[in-house]
Amino acid sequence: MSASTTKYIATVFCIIAFSLAASGQKLRFLIPDGAIVQHAGSIGYFSAGIDYDLFKNRKGSLDIMYGMQPHSKGGGFSTLSTKFAIRPFEITAAPWLIIHPVNPGAFLSYTFDDDLSLVHDRDQYIKGYYPLSEALRIHLSFSSEFKFNTSTLLKSGKLKSATLYYEVNTNDIYLTNYVQNTKGLSVTDIFKAGIGIKASF
Amino acid sequence: MERKLLLFLIIACLSGCTDFEYSPQQTFDSDSPRDLNKKNYERLLQAPVNDTLRFIVCGDSQASQNEVELFVKKANELQGLDLVFLAGDISDFGSLQEMEWLVRDFQNLKAPYFAVIGNHDLLGKGADVFKRMFGDLNYSFSYGGVKFVCHDTNGREYKFNGTVPDVNWLQTELIADGSVSSYIALAHVRPYTADFDPNLSTLYTDILNANPAMLASFYAHDHSFGEYHPNNSRIPFIVATSLGERGFLLVEIINGRLTYERIDY
Repeated sequence: MSASTTKYIATVFCIIAFSLAASGQKLRFLIPDGAIVQHAGSIGYFSAGIDYDLFKNRKGSLDIMYGMQPHSKGGGFSTLSTKFAIRPFEITAAPWLIIHPVNPGAFLSYTFDDDLSLVHDRDQYIKGYYPLSEALRIHLSFSSEFKFNTSTLLKSGKLKSATLYYEVNTNDIYLTNYVQNTKGLSVTDIFKAGIGIKASF
Repeated sequence: MERKLLLFLIIACLSGCTDFEYSPQQTFDSDSPRDLNKKNYERLLQAPVNDTLRFIVCGDSQASQNEVELFVKKANELQGLDLVFLAGDISDFGSLQEMEWLVRDFQNLKAPYFAVIGNHDLLGKGADVFKRMFGDLNYSFSYGGVKFVCHDTNGREYKFNGTVPDVNWLQTELIADGSVSSYIALAHVRPYTADFDPNLSTLYTDILNANPAMLASFYAHDHSFGEYHPNNSRIPFIVATSLGERGFLLVEIINGRLTYERIDY
């Protein structure tokens, strides 16, 4: 992806953000329900973002994350991700602790780097020569969450809960390899881990 | 409740058994192998040189981890094998993880192995991954009086800009040297095919033929065996099939004479 395209996308994001701010009260639903920081998990060495609750009883969530991958960790680029997950199971371990044991999810990650293009150049390659995008990855994920009810624990009104989670994910490249090589590769080869903390307001 | 706990245990196990990953596009992680071509050359130099030089040319290991395991077993059964060349397309998408999967299997080879860059390995950040894990895209070394000249011929990945293959580098590498009795060229894409720079096919073929001690040039990419003599070339342009097709070439050089056989496994 060229530097000019990156700047273009950044500009569009800024315009959207300013428009939303200007719209004020009508768009209250756009105020996030939480903030997240994450380490690893295939979206950058360190990433941070915002969280929206979806569905009744917060059975689903949509996270928008921005991750940094420093040169010293084999990167020198940043990644924008949109993560969706549902929470079908809930264990109330204590009045102050709820465990969501398995939360299936899916997410898209887009990495901004001059070497990575969204689609392969049609002048250079015939259609389908390389089937997958370089910059855009499609992920499948499973996470487990420990949700601490901070309003009970800390008698704090503003922070409703703090959630510690770990997540494993795989992506289209690894899955493509795995489905053709179920003997040579194991499930643990293609799933990669990350951990994070979410604060819900 | 029990079902939920079981699910929880499964995910906990999966998490405990998997590595943390920062990005699928990262070019290395804390335990990525480094400089493998150089390290394998150092291993090769420890081996005694004899009259017969035997090596494997294989290629296109991408998305073929099942077959790569079998290949390593087969190669380790061959007597007197000196070295192994993997002529490109180590990975399907140029990712660090795919190249690490290959090395996990190839490190079980008894003979030293050398990787050559393929077009798929240049996707994404693949060139950076390859350079750190294996070494330069164009490199050469001598063993037992034979000089192996490994190079990048994936012209399409450079939009046929006239720089790949690097003909000046090749000419320099092929200048006659008294300590070298034979030359072997190795690359991924053979000349006069769709992914080789069309403006360089003739010059490239002429350069390889100009050195009288050049015995043959080996490639992969076609996913089928073949021997070609474009423009009545003196030297053969020999193609190994893909590891996914469960085939490779076993090459022997005795007193400057080259023979080879196709092996299916």
